Amino acid sequence: MLKNLLLGNLSVEAIPFDAPIILGADLFMGMIFFGVLFSITFYKKWSYIWHEWVTSVDHKKIGIMYLILSFVMLLRGFSDAILMRSQQAVAAGHSAGFLPPEHYDQIFSAHGVIMIFFVAMPFMFGLINIALPLQIGARDVAYPYLNSLSFWLTFVGAMLCNASLVLGRFAETGWLAYPTLSELYYSPGVGVDYYIWSLQIAGVGTTLGGINFIATIFRMRCPGMTFFKMPIFTWSVLCAMILVALAFPVLTATLALLTLDRVFGMHFFTDFAGGNNMMYINLIWAWGHPEVYILILPAFGIFSEVVATFSQKRLFGYTTMVWAMAIITFLSFVVWVHHFFTMGAGADVNAFFGIATMVIAVPTGVKVFNWLFTMYKGRIILDTPMLWVSAFFTTFAIGGMTGVMLAIPPVDFQLHNSLFLVAHFHNVIIGGVLFGYFAGAIYWFPKMFGFKLDEKWGKWSFYFWVIGFYVAFMPLYVLGLNGGMRRLNHYENTLYQPYFIIAAIGMVLIFIGIIMQIIQLFVSIKNRAALRDKTGDPWNGRTLEWSVSSPPPIYNFATVPTVSVIDQLWENKEQHQQESKVKLNLHSEYTPIHMPKNTAMGFIIAMFAGLTGFAIIWHMWIPGIVGFVGVLVSVIARTFETKIDYYIDAETVKKTELNYIKGII
Amino acid sequence: MQRETHVGVHDHHAEADRTDVFGFWLYIMTDCILFGCLFTTFLVLNQPMEHTLQLKNYIHLPDVLVETFFLLASNFTFCLASLSIYKEKLGSVVWWLFLSFLLGAGFLYIEVNEFIHFAKEGFRWDYSAQASSFFTLVGTHGLHVTFGLLWILTMIVQLSFFKLNQTMKRRMTYLGLFWNFLDIVWIFVFTIVYLMGAM
Amino acid sequence: MDHQHNQVDYGSGQKKLSIYLSGMVMCVLLTLLAFYVVMAGTLPKWAIFTVIYSAACMQFFVQLICFLRMNVRTEQGRLNVMCFVFTAVILTCIILGSLWIMWSLDYNMMH
Repeated sequence: MLKNLLLGNLSVEAIPFDAPIILGADLFMGMIFFGVLFSITFYKKWSYIWHEWVTSVDHKKIGIMYLILSFVMLLRGFSDAILMRSQQAVAAGHSAGFLPPEHYDQIFSAHGVIMIFFVAMPFMFGLINIALPLQIGARDVAYPYLNSLSFWLTFVGAMLCNASLVLGRFAETGWLAYPTLSELYYSPGVGVDYYIWSLQIAGVGTTLGGINFIATIFRMRCPGMTFFKMPIFTWSVLCAMILVALAFPVLTATLALLTLDRVFGMHFFTDFAGGNNMMYINLIWAWGHPEVYILILPAFGIFSEVVATFSQKRLFGYTTMVWAMAIITFLSFVVWVHHFFTMGAGADVNAFFGIATMVIAVPTGVKVFNWLFTMYKGRIILDTPMLWVSAFFTTFAIGGMTGVMLAIPPVDFQLHNSLFLVAHFHNVIIGGVLFGYFAGAIYWFPKMFGFKLDEKWGKWSFYFWVIGFYVAFMPLYVLGLNGGMRRLNHYENTLYQPYFIIAAIGMVLIFIGIIMQIIQLFVSIKNRAALRDKTGDPWNGRTLEWSVSSPPPIYNFATVPTVSVIDQLWENKEQHQQESKVKLNLHSEYTPIHMPKNTAMGFIIAMFAGLTGFAIIWHMWIPGIVGFVGVLVSVIARTFETKIDYYIDAETVKKTELNYIKGII
Repeated sequence: MQRETHVGVHDHHAEADRTDVFGFWLYIMTDCILFGCLFTTFLVLNQPMEHTLQLKNYIHLPDVLVETFFLLASNFTFCLASLSIYKEKLGSVVWWLFLSFLLGAGFLYIEVNEFIHFAKEGFRWDYSAQASSFFTLVGTHGLHVTFGLLWILTMIVQLSFFKLNQTMKRRMTYLGLFWNFLDIVWIFVFTIVYLMGAM
Repeated sequence: MDHQHNQVDYGSGQKKLSIYLSGMVMCVLLTLLAFYVVMAGTLPKWAIFTVIYSAACMQFFVQLICFLRMNVRTEQGRLNVMCFVFTAVILTCIILGSLWIMWSLDYNMMH
């Protein structure tokens, strides 16, 4: 009895001994995991990691941790892609390939979940954490402790998803887990439960992050920075975070209802006793559509910053850009039915949402033209970030156009859930979101680490990624138009096979691109002395983050800047004021700076949350209660803590600033 | 060198407090959306099917009226606690908080009794979609009230430790927003679920 | 004690006993009205509907203004109201949209 309450359904059988591929992946993951643990122990870095990173409430460090999580999960998500492309390249006609449906279904489900929730979202939050406070002249985000908690909750969600590879299985339902397939009767194992809890825990972290950044932008801008003097990336983050705050509760509610169905036998989405599984699809897409706009808006912001900086020209139509993003923010809440035109709503519903979907393409088009107009008559520097932007223009435009095609209900009736759809969303997510975040990562890398990334490897990885993308996904458009459907591990029609083989070649090219990005990282670290950013402004930037050292001091700004125009830094440079400001700083008065103390609470609460999730998945009721009570007790205990801040005295600030200025002169 | 300190410049903390309370207001907005989804689900799934147990037959409006007044009174006593904070009277604050706790607990007691009664009659949460959505919507509100009660208790304990410092005033502001918000949600619960349900 | 010095502007109106009391009285009356109209059952259905929904909306605003003390006089107050209005707009889109969609699905697919 006690054993049941403690261990629930967990047993040795949970380890997938019968699936050699999964077991191989587990061993590989284990090697890396224990290898990392061993290295940290060997180099005696536990104290450093705990005090400087795990307990950090510094937005810059939290941003870097998000980026590390994102890149590691990209490798796992991409492994899923390798498996899928290989399978589909060989499984034509009589050949069944090497991945049976039960395994294949877990792969595409995990691929979607990982790429959206544990690659794209952390990548976005990482870049926002790094750049946003610096851009608005703030010393940190509004709620540093909550920031740490948000990261660790996302981390725990990702780890739960990884745990499903070792113990049990993942959902076989696709990345959105539609009922009735995801109900207990048709998915009796732990797969869907892993799915639910990794998303719920990460989702709470995301919602808190959204609240954090909205408050930061509203309340922590430096003096003089009115809304229409904010950098355009800041505007894009504001819009995206508003979407996060308003859309993620829908996800939380919907997953909770599915959990209630599975755990307590309720009837929200069952096909008897009055349940309505169409309600799940309606709600999940009411979240799902804003989610993709959450991902793309910061990418748009990055494009605006990079285009202006690398064309050495101010952004064309700043006000229009802001309004375009505001309109996209609102409209993204009235288009969600286009994800289920074929579910059977009447022509009036489909028509309304089809038209709304087409309308939302208009402000996006306005933005593309504004970027092009910014480049026109600019003095363009084609460094790697600008290359990614250029690739984005064509790629995203194609993806957007196929999106407008799909927005027409009669067309969608033919193409829904086909490979055409798969090609479309990869087109916009990779071409829009990923290219944008790559550009942002290279753009802000020197700010985080103090040295630039190697240009040569950057360009090589870029070419392999972009060419690889087209080779991998254009065949899918053709296949979709020819009747090829998604989520199948095998196709009877052997005429499809050549296209799948081409797609697999594309996948290999992308893989090489990723390897080159890893090489780029190692080469850059090795050559960091030569690539050093001494001035803090390696790209001749326009916004405030380039006015501090690289990496910035922990307090960001010794004196909070005052702003009177957009792109104040550029203005200062034009007026040759930077040098005089620098000289001023040598003699100016420094005041003590108020800083939040590091705290382990974010990490601890997340760990308890993870324990709760894992325990509920396996029906381990005692650990579950321990986890839940642990969360509550930690939250309350933290509120009794009074020593949560400290001051950096003026002498230390002065010394740090002097060092920075010496580096420039 | 770094110095630890509990003392801050008042203006700086006032600005920080405004930011903190604004953040809590934003959280309340996200909670509105959460409840909105639960309301929508209730409205969609509230279709009584033939030859089944129906919510309509179990609703006992007098009970609902009493628990509504308990919650409303609790809301009011909390406002009086806020007023006492403004007047810097720690003893009154704790007294009104305690009353809010009792009244809130009374609300919860009636609600739990109602749930148990429904379940005994066979109208359990796993009986039908209408039942599931009823118990989930009203139950989520009840869960929020439970957390609020736990929070009030914590506040009472902390007030004895920290007295009425700036941090405690800020936390009472959060709790006030939360408690008021719960009563506002309840307006819609009793109207849409109970009054409409009983008609 | 200097009350002005201790008052942080959270964007809410001034705390006054009279406002809380009047708010409370209005809430009690509106609640009683709504319950009475349903429990007595003498009015036609559409009239009962109108009364309880109007009473709910009115009580909603009374609680917002008298208890939550939402106002547009201060800058923070305006910010709070703006956030709330936007949330309400999106909530309306989601709720009304979902009801329309689900009704349409039910009509076309379940008969």
